[in-house]
Amino acid sequence: MTESVFFWIFAVLTVLLAAQVVLRRNPVHAAVSLVGAFFFLSGIYLLLAAQLIAILQVMVYAGAVMVLFVFVIMLLNLKEEEMGHERLTAWKIIGGASIVVTTGLIAYLALGNAYPTGLLRDMARTQPGFGSVKGVGQALYIASVLPFEVTSLLLTIAVVGAVVVAKGKI
Amino acid sequence: MDTDSAYLQPYLPILVLLLLAGVMCFAISILAGYLGPKRTFPIKETAFECGSPTTGDPHSRHSVKFYLVALLFIVFDIESVFIYPWGALLRDFAAQGLGWFAYLEMLSFMATLALGLVYVWRKGALEWS
Amino acid sequence: MSFNAADLQGVLPAIILSVGALFLLTSEVFLRNVRPAVLGHAGGIPTSPAERVEAKLPPGAQGASPSAVTPPDRRYQAWVAAAFAALGLWASLAQLGDPAIAIFNGTAASDGFARVVAAVVCGSLLLSCLVAFGYLEALRATRGEFYALALFSASGMCLLGQATDLIVIFIALEVMSLAVYCLSAYLRRGNRPAEAAFKYFVLGSFASAIFLYGAALAYGATASTRLVDIAAALRGGGSGLLWAAAALLVVGFAFKVAAVPFHMWVPDVYDGAPAPVTGFMAAAVKVAAFATLVRILLGGFGDPVAALGAHGWQRLVVWLAGLTMVVGNLLAIPQRSVKRMLAYSSIAHAGYLLVAVAAMAGPLPRQDAIGGLLFYLASYGATVIGAFGVVAIIERKLALSGAGDDLSSWAGLSERHPALAAAMSLFMVSLAGIPPTAGFMAKLTVFRAAVSAELVPLAVLGVLTSVGGLYYYLRVVVYVYMMPTTKPDAVMGERLVAAGLALIGCAVLVVWMGVQPGAFASVAQNAVAVFSR
Repeated sequence: MTESVFFWIFAVLTVLLAAQVVLRRNPVHAAVSLVGAFFFLSGIYLLLAAQLIAILQVMVYAGAVMVLFVFVIMLLNLKEEEMGHERLTAWKIIGGASIVVTTGLIAYLALGNAYPTGLLRDMARTQPGFGSVKGVGQALYIASVLPFEVTSLLLTIAVVGAVVVAKGKI
Repeated sequence: MDTDSAYLQPYLPILVLLLLAGVMCFAISILAGYLGPKRTFPIKETAFECGSPTTGDPHSRHSVKFYLVALLFIVFDIESVFIYPWGALLRDFAAQGLGWFAYLEMLSFMATLALGLVYVWRKGALEWS
Repeated sequence: MSFNAADLQGVLPAIILSVGALFLLTSEVFLRNVRPAVLGHAGGIPTSPAERVEAKLPPGAQGASPSAVTPPDRRYQAWVAAAFAALGLWASLAQLGDPAIAIFNGTAASDGFARVVAAVVCGSLLLSCLVAFGYLEALRATRGEFYALALFSASGMCLLGQATDLIVIFIALEVMSLAVYCLSAYLRRGNRPAEAAFKYFVLGSFASAIFLYGAALAYGATASTRLVDIAAALRGGGSGLLWAAAALLVVGFAFKVAAVPFHMWVPDVYDGAPAPVTGFMAAAVKVAAFATLVRILLGGFGDPVAALGAHGWQRLVVWLAGLTMVVGNLLAIPQRSVKRMLAYSSIAHAGYLLVAVAAMAGPLPRQDAIGGLLFYLASYGATVIGAFGVVAIIERKLALSGAGDDLSSWAGLSERHPALAAAMSLFMVSLAGIPPTAGFMAKLTVFRAAVSAELVPLAVLGVLTSVGGLYYYLRVVVYVYMMPTTKPDAVMGERLVAAGLALIGCAVLVVWMGVQPGAFASVAQNAVAVFSR
């Protein structure tokens, strides 16, 4: 019961704030909305008993990734006239409608009955240590060796890519 | 709180703290607006720059250098996320007889990233010039 | 659990490519500007890059004034990258006959299919490195990062071919994509390449997000990311959530393989990226994306109900294939820029490949369809790398003479460069699907598989659209051979040894696969056994 109440609070706020990110014309407002969306999303992770992910969501996304976004906003520093106008084109209507229909369809398929039920929720609450640092670590380092090692490649590519694309003189 | 949601019990203090913090923030800013004395006059409303007239646009564009540094910061930040649980678990792994496995696993992970660090370092991407 | 030899051997091509990439990256930053004293000390300057590497000479350009500091010679990099690609090719081919095993706790597989995919990827990389050599030299843009990123992306592609877990698939997909985004942004010159790279990045990330959403739904439905567990859940009766997951996974990859209606990024990206990168993208990215699509659809959703049922994915893929063939070919017809024409043609070829994927849905023609798909991917890869190789040479010549990328610049190529003209014509003929080239045999096997899968309308549509394709492919040949030269040619300043080698390799493959498809078909046969049941 408590769980459902908090889920709906977090879910509605996350979706509303995420929509604000897209709909706001002022990039700073969008960024602040994004922080809020990240924050309430971490609440949903908590409800799923994924504590470590919830903390990382706040620390890495609401913290570090947002810093990057704000940097980009400051770099571009768009003036009022450069931001473009709010126009409602046919493509935007079609796109918005298709998003609503698709997510509605998936929600209908996924949430045949009310949240939270099903496999994952039971798994989260029956397995001891699920979502804790040690629980995640066991899954990450033992069961998923290959993706873990490939992640180091991915991060290295990110470093190289950042230099290749953004460094003044290479 | 019902038994079904008992696992959320430990987070109750955090919730209380967050609520308190939120209420405080709004309360203080709103109350300050109402209660604080407001004596405005034209000179107070102008921008203050050490007594001299203001020059230039306050919204200057930042150099793209910041972006590169921020980007590299994120990458290394995420790396630390991947390394942290390993540190917490190493004793457990050793007890399970997986100590060497975990060590070699992290060694190859770190070696790849170290080469990435050597690359940016030698490339001069960390220099501020 | 420990690192055992079988696990590591299973991902050997990916390991080789990553090590090569890291080596190039490190060697790039430890290169020093050449001081004249070193040159003097070394005496005579070796002429070939290979000799320079052997002599451990930090060499400089010939004719530099004694006091000037010259930038380091980076010409060894293409050869080192090509050597690592060849090593990866050898590693994947050497394991071809080995039994199929699951590696890394079942998150990946080392089987014939994966090895063939890795071989095609490494082969494409090898040819692309050779094509890139002269191109980058001419633009003075040779850097270790270029080859390192190419090797990294190829390593991701090899992993994609063998991943059997949605998490591994996603991370390998990102390894591949991120590296290719950077490659397409590599030259950083002008608005068009920047726009292309940006578009590719944004739409590619969007596709990855859609894939990730599908993976999350699959996890929600089955509490596992392994494809085998998804298959088991389907056998126990699938849920609506799994159908949604399948649709999203297919859409994510439809973006990557450029199927209509997810193709909008292709022309701009192919046009704006450096031509050798475009060739690599068209060949290798397609191979990896199709291989993963097949893995997901057959490994995870291969159940007859999931494939052929009322909500099965065959219907989805049939529509995608039909649309892609028609729209790709129709849009290619009015193109006058050869690069854009090849971009739309790559969309059309994605359609033919999707025909093979649709034919795999039935259990009976599955073998032929998978074999046909692999053969098609290999032949298309060889052809398109060759075609973009010629474009790369022409493009930088045109850049020198200030002409555009228009067809008219190709007029009379046969008089000026008969070898290039012959090569381009061969590749065009193969893309059009005319015997005795690889393209013909590839189309034949795919359409035959479609007919035996009772997808006759799709096969007929494929043949009709191929006939339409004849027009724009042969138009290039007509311009090359029958139109008089309109512009005098710029002098070709750079050596074409590497690119020439690559073009010869592509041409030999194209003819060989067309004349003797049996040799390659037996290799493919080896690979398809994985998915038989």
